[in-house]
Amino acid sequence: MLKDLFFIFISAVLVNNFVLTYFLGICPFLGVSGHIESALGMGMAVTFVMTLSSAICWLFYNLLLVKFNIVFLEYVTFILVIASLVQIVEMFIKKFSPALYEMLGIYLPLITTNCAILGLSLFMVTKKYPFIESVVYGFSSGLGFSLVLIIMAGIREELKFADIPKHFRGAGITLITAGILALIFMGFSGLISS
Amino acid sequence: MNNTIIISILGLGITGFIFSIILVILDKKLKIDIDPLIEKVTEILPGINCGACGFPGCSNYAKEVVEKKDLFNGCLPGGKEVNDQISSLLGLSTVETLPKKAIILCSGSKDKAKISTVYKGIHTCQAVNLTSGGPDCKYGCIGEGDCEKVCPVKAISIVNGLCVIDHNLCIGCGKCVKTCPRKILKLVDTNQVSCVFVVSCNNPSDMKETKAVCSVGCIGCSLCTKIIKDSPFVINGKLASFDYLKAKSFSEKDADIAKEKCPAKTINKFNV
Repeated sequence: MLKDLFFIFISAVLVNNFVLTYFLGICPFLGVSGHIESALGMGMAVTFVMTLSSAICWLFYNLLLVKFNIVFLEYVTFILVIASLVQIVEMFIKKFSPALYEMLGIYLPLITTNCAILGLSLFMVTKKYPFIESVVYGFSSGLGFSLVLIIMAGIREELKFADIPKHFRGAGITLITAGILALIFMGFSGLISS
Repeated sequence: MNNTIIISILGLGITGFIFSIILVILDKKLKIDIDPLIEKVTEILPGINCGACGFPGCSNYAKEVVEKKDLFNGCLPGGKEVNDQISSLLGLSTVETLPKKAIILCSGSKDKAKISTVYKGIHTCQAVNLTSGGPDCKYGCIGEGDCEKVCPVKAISIVNGLCVIDHNLCIGCGKCVKTCPRKILKLVDTNQVSCVFVVSCNNPSDMKETKAVCSVGCIGCSLCTKIIKDSPFVINGKLASFDYLKAKSFSEKDADIAKEKCPAKTINKFNV
């Protein structure tokens, strides 16, 4: 049991990283990775939403959709659940941490349409995880997302002072960096086969 | 078949309904009372977030103004009009803001100031200032554009390795003054003044040393202080400067003569 959970954790954080292996959630990956601080905030928000949505989506899927035999509605239901959750999270952050709210800006509502979170719910269903495994999977996927986001933010903060050839500045060097990062993360593949 | 349709509609409908009820309740519970005045004040402010008032941005300034019922030093770029509007909105007594402009005490562009080193490091003035790179004159403009980057109204441009200020655009927020590592930018009061004279040099060395590094540096000949009556120019050691306390009383014609006679052509005149 614990071993399984550990494997799921390592698999979601490193081997099957959402951003660099599945290429999900690229929008915040490129948009919020300018500063380590905002990357950390975004990572925390996504991790929180992912954990919560994996738990609640699991409940809805198994207690509602499977039971009443309307599994074909999974997409609609998941989107509904995720959108509502993000709204709730947004309200809480706005109330209790206005600074974080201003820092995340447009990207907080964008979690709603962050494909990584819908992708997570769908993967969770296809992998047929039990409840606890699903929650761990959601949490570790969020951690993997934050990890990559923070690594990227760290690199980009250093890049500001680097002597980059003129034509690569801005988006160009960012995409190249993302590509190299993805190549590095490919090195983890084969660590766990699942 | 019919059953499936009904169940899907009911299932999804009820789920959506439950979520909407939760959202409505939370919205009521977590509501933050924002003073509508803050929004109004923010709208009046210019919204360029220059920070001249001492707060991080216009919305922060608006918040403080409404909460503390104090205009502090007023909005500098907004001027009289904006301050009057805010004070009448909040019922406060208005404050006078004096229009200011930034000037630069250097005119050593690349062709005038000598550069004998090749700098290949990080391209910011802050970094160059730590090394022995940049112009040979250790008091002159480095020209990497730190001031250009912080200027909220894009009034500063780097032309030929020298910071050039567009005085029509400058709002006098003083961000560049704080940024410049060599402290050669300065804010001057331009209230009821049509032009500003600047001794564009900050090098206190004597004639020989100044001449060795720059062709337009002040050589400390003190001609500008003697050639005209009641000269607004003063000399301090080997460096002349314009006395901005006399900025309203001096004769523009006389100062023009001093500008023409300056042997190093260090004195510049800007219309504001």
